[in-house]
Amino acid sequence: MSAIATVGIGPFDTAWLAAALVLTTPILLAAVGELISERVGVLNVGLEGYMLAGAFFSYYVTWKADSLFLGVLASVAAGLLFAAIMALLTVEAKADQIVTGVGINLAAIGLTSYLFDQIFGNKAQIVVPTVGSLSIPGLSSIPGGFGSALFNHDWILYLAFVSVFVVWFLLYRTKWGLAVRAAGELPAAVDTAGISVKRVRWMGVLAAGGMSGLGGANLAIVQVGIFHQEMTAGRGFLALVAVIFGRWRPLGVLGACFALGGADALQLRLADESQVPSQVWAVLAGIAAAIAIYQVTRWRQGRPRPVAIALSGAVALCGVVLAAASPHIDLPDQLWRSLPYLLALVVLAGAITRAHMPTKLTLPYSRGEG
Amino acid sequence: MINTVRARLSGTGTDFLLSVAVAIAALLVAMLFVVASGVSFSRGASAFVDGAFGSNLNVAGTLAKMVPLTLVALGWIVVFKAGRFHVGFPGQILVGGLFVSIVALKIHVPIVIHLPLVLIAGMVGGALYAGIAAWLWAKRGVNEILSTLLLNLVAAQILAWWVREPFHDKTTPLPLTPSLPDSSRWPELITNTDLHWDIVLVPIAALAIAFLLARTLFGFRSRLVGAGEGVARHAGISPERVGSRAILLSGALAGLAGSSLVVAGSTPQMGEDFGANYGFTGIAVALLARNSPLAAVPAALLFAALEQGGGVMEGTVGISSSLVDFIQGLMIILVLGATTLLYMVRRRGRAKRGPKSRSQTAPKAELEPAAR
Repeated sequence: MSAIATVGIGPFDTAWLAAALVLTTPILLAAVGELISERVGVLNVGLEGYMLAGAFFSYYVTWKADSLFLGVLASVAAGLLFAAIMALLTVEAKADQIVTGVGINLAAIGLTSYLFDQIFGNKAQIVVPTVGSLSIPGLSSIPGGFGSALFNHDWILYLAFVSVFVVWFLLYRTKWGLAVRAAGELPAAVDTAGISVKRVRWMGVLAAGGMSGLGGANLAIVQVGIFHQEMTAGRGFLALVAVIFGRWRPLGVLGACFALGGADALQLRLADESQVPSQVWAVLAGIAAAIAIYQVTRWRQGRPRPVAIALSGAVALCGVVLAAASPHIDLPDQLWRSLPYLLALVVLAGAITRAHMPTKLTLPYSRGEG
Repeated sequence: MINTVRARLSGTGTDFLLSVAVAIAALLVAMLFVVASGVSFSRGASAFVDGAFGSNLNVAGTLAKMVPLTLVALGWIVVFKAGRFHVGFPGQILVGGLFVSIVALKIHVPIVIHLPLVLIAGMVGGALYAGIAAWLWAKRGVNEILSTLLLNLVAAQILAWWVREPFHDKTTPLPLTPSLPDSSRWPELITNTDLHWDIVLVPIAALAIAFLLARTLFGFRSRLVGAGEGVARHAGISPERVGSRAILLSGALAGLAGSSLVVAGSTPQMGEDFGANYGFTGIAVALLARNSPLAAVPAALLFAALEQGGGVMEGTVGISSSLVDFIQGLMIILVLGATTLLYMVRRRGRAKRGPKSRSQTAPKAELEPAAR
């Protein structure tokens, strides 16, 4: 980061914010696409594969055609291609979604690694030009570092965040969105209304593919300008996690992705420090306290969740104690990195989450079988 | 009765032909890629065959790779038949290895005791880790695909930490454990190769699982639960109990695969990723074997040959071994595509022929998964 004065609480400053937004973007793109897909009932285990395909082909085409624009197009096309295979097998042929996804993942990882080795293996690392920043005039000069943290990024990042609201609008305010939501819950109703369930599901899967491909492009030709094998490093799976975490809602997914990106940025920041700064505990305590308070208000509405209250209250308490005492503990990186997965498991185990999960997720639709 | 026999035979016959067709198709695609990279077909093919079978060393390598592939494939088959399939094998492999490292490094007993303990440790570790997913499903209704996907990621982090902190070999900066003692490792079958005595696990496990599924009460119950939870419940069988046991068994098998990867591997030290990828390629093996425990053995041989041959081919003709990963993924896709095609053809045929012929073309369970 440049020498702009940054404002913030401990490690949570505007530099962290900028990094968090950048790190959030690829996962967010994939997650928004996957959100649509899961709402129509298709789970894309192959999300990682779509992303990787997008990353590789954006890199390759940018280099070969000397055009970033074509590179971006190529990434979307690559994601769409793999997603089309998925849709062909799972929506048309009604093959099992999970197994197909595993196959696509293997195929995409293998293909991109192979092509990379064959085409670039004997050359020195080629760095392609990256998509530049698009600074929003006026807004990007907000002092304290906020301006540059929020409004000095590439257009793909802006697109990613805007897409959340676009998808929200489409899902909840259009007829298309209604069909999408119904396709994963009661496809028979969609069928009866004369809309092709298959077509809606195709669109969902392709959305996941295209957006993940774009996410991959973001990784390759926006952030670094290179490709290396398996560079997505599990982000596709993180996107799946984010959709669960976000309870299959656009704003929830945005929050989940930002939590992941923020934690990643934090972890990078803390890598050099020998102990966990007290501000981190304080923020954790704050989030837990907010959850606890929220659960208490639900209790007063007559929907108590004692376990949630107890848990979040306990975490908040621990956080406060740790923030005050600021002990010299250095938790392993791996624990921080496991946190999103563990939290997702906890969230999954909660009944409310399963109430929001599209009922027909992973189940193919056959007319007459509901 | 003749009809059922004929039906059964044609079922197995078509299955076998389908697998062979898919394998050949995938290999042809591979050769296409090889030729496109500038290597002649004959050179590529001979390099591959040579790499897989051309020398004692290579054959040993191929056979050694069969072990984790077969075990994971069997694990998949077990949970698949019970209708509870999951993708948690990579994580269970890793945790199995973790438990192995504990038993291997912390106890000092002669090999006759040590090795069996190590194997049990691996199985226990894998089963325990699978148990988390099983519990989450049985008690909290969590979809085990999602939970095992997450658990895989967690296991990778646990292992990364394990070999860097508590069990790290302090004499090296690399993330490795100290060398596991010989008493905890499988003896080599052919000296100075990758082939160890753990190869005996392949026929033993395949026969055991085949017997378990076909001839025991547990196997019968599993298959019943896999065919339909409603039916099973009506018969007084608890799908949660049976399903959970199947998941635990699959975890044990994956853990055993993990133990082989650690104590029958080429190096005596354990790293953070000693072969978790077998957790996915094992699924491909099971698919190619059409979910038959006995067929898993030749399917595993094919995949092992692919891995071994591909690896050597990289050195001799410069074709990246990642092509093998692509081919394995392609095989899954082709098997699924071919199977569903076949199913749809049969279904149309059945509809045309009328009600009497229905028993001969019963749908395959994996194509229309029971509601989870």
